[in-house]
Amino acid sequence: MDKKITPLSKLFLVIIFFILYAPIFFLIFYSFNSGETMYDFEGFSLEWYRQLFHDTRLFIIVLNTIVVALLSSLFSTIIGILGALAIHMAKRRQTKNALLSFNNVLIVSPDVIIGASFLILFTMAGVKLGFYSVLLSHIAFSIPIVVLMVLPKLTEMSPSLIDAARDLGASSWDVMSKVIIPYISPGIFAGFFMALTYSLDDFAVTFFVTGNGFSTLSVEIYSLARRGISLNINALSAILFLFTFALVVIYYFITQRNKPNDMGVRKR
Amino acid sequence: MENKLTRNLYKVPYLLWILLFVIIPIALVLYYSFFDIEGHFSLGNYQKFFTPVYLQMTLSSFWYAFLITAISLIIAYPTALLLTKTKHKQLWLLLIIVPSWINLLLKAYAFLGIFGTYGISNSFLKVIGIGQQQILFTDFSFVFVSVYIFIPFMILPIFNSLNELNPTLVDAAKDLGASKWTTFRRVIFPLTIDGVKSGCQVTFIPALSLFMLTRLIAGNRVITLGTAIEQHFLVTQDWGMGSTIAVFLIIIMVLIMLLTNTRKRGV
Amino acid sequence: MANANIIQFKHVTKQYDNDSPVLDDVSFEIERGKFYTLLGPSGCGKTTILRIIAGFTEPTSGEVFFNGKKINQVPANKRQVNTVFQDYALFPHLNVFENVAFGLRIKKLKNAEIQTKVKEALSFVNLSGYEKREISEMSGGQRQRVAIARAIVNEPEVILLDEPLSALDLKLRTEMQYELRELQRRLGITFIFVTHDQEEALAMSDEIFVINKGTIQQSGTPIDIYDEPINRFVADFIGESNIVKGKMIKDYLVEFVGRQFECVDMGFNENEPVEIVIRPEDLEITSLERGKLQVKVDSQLFRGVHYEICGYDIDGNEWLVHSTKKAKVGTEIGLYFDPEAIHVMRLGETEEEFDRRLETYADVDRHGK
Repeated sequence: MDKKITPLSKLFLVIIFFILYAPIFFLIFYSFNSGETMYDFEGFSLEWYRQLFHDTRLFIIVLNTIVVALLSSLFSTIIGILGALAIHMAKRRQTKNALLSFNNVLIVSPDVIIGASFLILFTMAGVKLGFYSVLLSHIAFSIPIVVLMVLPKLTEMSPSLIDAARDLGASSWDVMSKVIIPYISPGIFAGFFMALTYSLDDFAVTFFVTGNGFSTLSVEIYSLARRGISLNINALSAILFLFTFALVVIYYFITQRNKPNDMGVRKR
Repeated sequence: MENKLTRNLYKVPYLLWILLFVIIPIALVLYYSFFDIEGHFSLGNYQKFFTPVYLQMTLSSFWYAFLITAISLIIAYPTALLLTKTKHKQLWLLLIIVPSWINLLLKAYAFLGIFGTYGISNSFLKVIGIGQQQILFTDFSFVFVSVYIFIPFMILPIFNSLNELNPTLVDAAKDLGASKWTTFRRVIFPLTIDGVKSGCQVTFIPALSLFMLTRLIAGNRVITLGTAIEQHFLVTQDWGMGSTIAVFLIIIMVLIMLLTNTRKRGV
Repeated sequence: MANANIIQFKHVTKQYDNDSPVLDDVSFEIERGKFYTLLGPSGCGKTTILRIIAGFTEPTSGEVFFNGKKINQVPANKRQVNTVFQDYALFPHLNVFENVAFGLRIKKLKNAEIQTKVKEALSFVNLSGYEKREISEMSGGQRQRVAIARAIVNEPEVILLDEPLSALDLKLRTEMQYELRELQRRLGITFIFVTHDQEEALAMSDEIFVINKGTIQQSGTPIDIYDEPINRFVADFIGESNIVKGKMIKDYLVEFVGRQFECVDMGFNENEPVEIVIRPEDLEITSLERGKLQVKVDSQLFRGVHYEICGYDIDGNEWLVHSTKKAKVGTEIGLYFDPEAIHVMRLGETEEEFDRRLETYADVDRHGK
């Protein structure tokens, strides 16, 4: 196809990319500052990284964050798959739509509302605010995302696939484990991945339901940032950026590899 | 033969989730909105919401959300359009999305440095002769940072709908004599309106409720509905009033959803 | 009228990056008011020709003329042609009326005029009364008609049709073939139709261009192309055929399968190697003695109007026969054919050389009389 991009529109794209990335690289740049401000670059140093790696408190917080993220995405993936199956197998159209609407409530709700309502819920139920309340909240808000990632794969799957499996003598369990689950596995991976990033990124909900003594990275950054500039946040952001970028690259290659058969991209 | 009960057993965790984390929390918010700070049942919170202080706050929260959404859209649409014309468009799209995966607070924090009194933007202003300005803790900085944060979320759905657009429809419009602008106005934009709507949805609703940005960047100069909810729940401990504002936020949210969710037409 | 040719391609080449060219030095003329078909396998470049005429693509080199004016640089929206797309490309956000009115609205015609023109165009394609329908409510055949109405309402001088029937089922397709042909006669404008379906091409066209690998292999009326294919590709692509290697002994005498046969071709060198085409329907089943060829029947299929019989001669060449008579699998049969049934093809002959050779036949005929 003849598609040409004029130099002007190229410039526009360059500016957009610059604006999107400049603040991030700005942060990373100053993480190597031997001084203490984000405007006066005094000299190159790795002092802030050294400080960061010796900060055991922060280390525990990072660990907390990762544990919560992994556990919550694991549980939410399992429940999400079951949910997607429940929606997919619902016979009546209204049931399907109702389930889907309930599913989407937490996705469209602003974080503050989720946070505030979960805070009330945990207080009423007598759950102590801390690790469990945070974990439960993360599981709760990740489930609908997993459902939305898995459901399209289920609807895309031809029903004759299941009939074929039954025809070849598969039991319900065989159908599930040997046909359905392998077929929807790209959706499951994507869902797990999204749940992971949602959990790692979440600030607002965690901020509401975390008690004293338990903190995740986002909450920690917030309280540090409210106190003003401190360059070990920069060092932290550099590391997080590298980590995120690595995840993105992995994700890209997984989806690229899956493309010909799984993403259903038709090329003429 | 498997009986009906065991066959439906797998649905239990999911249905339980719906009950515990979707229905009950919303019911609780509604329930709490009818209690005042001392725990007595009253409609006082609703009366309070309709006083000028709260109404004005709601209005300004709306205004900012509108501004943020509109600016994001104006920037995101052309960007998405140009992205679909690039060679490795999926890769470029991914690069647009990467910043959205960086922790939001880190991005906000970056702007503390950039917009600070001695920050890089002020040095720039000085060089071009405008001189030092107070940028941080203004409405400008709030809107700017919000737009910065929401742009990837706005680009993504628009990009997807542009990408799904059948290119022969554009050819057909040209074939029937439409100029580039007419093709855009009469064909491309109407057919990607769904992407625009969902982009506005994912921008407008959070823009009403982002409290950390107002705290960090706007220095409490901008109070959004979200800030007010956080204030009532975590600072003044007036859960009743917080819930009342939350109820209104939910109502607004539902209205926006109804407004932007029109039936899809497809061929 | 100054010029009968409405479209002319002069040495048009289209190449993407450094790939082999999609179109390689293509030249042709298209006359006003005729039904043309560009016929070829997918990827042969036929759609590219259409897209160049419509203005969606520019040729890499060469010139395109429309009504005698060079139009290489003229954008699609300024050209006097309209296209019916393969997937119809109807605007899903507009109803039938607005789809058809699209081009007229862009020309800023008066509302009343648009009303009459759209109504007229819709009645032309037998869709009166469907104005208010959404596109999603229309069947495949109806969408097809809307797409045609949308093109003809603009009164273009040329209508381009890009495999418009390929999405329809067989019965509807045959019906639409008649309708399109009829429509072209009534409108009297030029139709350029792209297809890979040879039957469709033979049934509808005044003139067929057979295209392969970016070049026009042969152009001519359906009968010309069917009866006198220029080479193996055309012979094979247009209908089923038996193609064997042979040798032109002298004028009117050709040798193949180890025997010499009388034929009607001339103008070859003596003992020139050639290829022979005999159409399956030109072969007649007869007794072994009477047959010019003897083959052993390998398989037989009942095709409705005829039997399709496949057999092998002693050299192992496959022979396909279409016959109303039945044969018995495993038996030997004789095949008879007239001298006219033999089509001799020169190896690697260009279209110009081919045409010149055919003209000499005509001269000989005339002198003979």
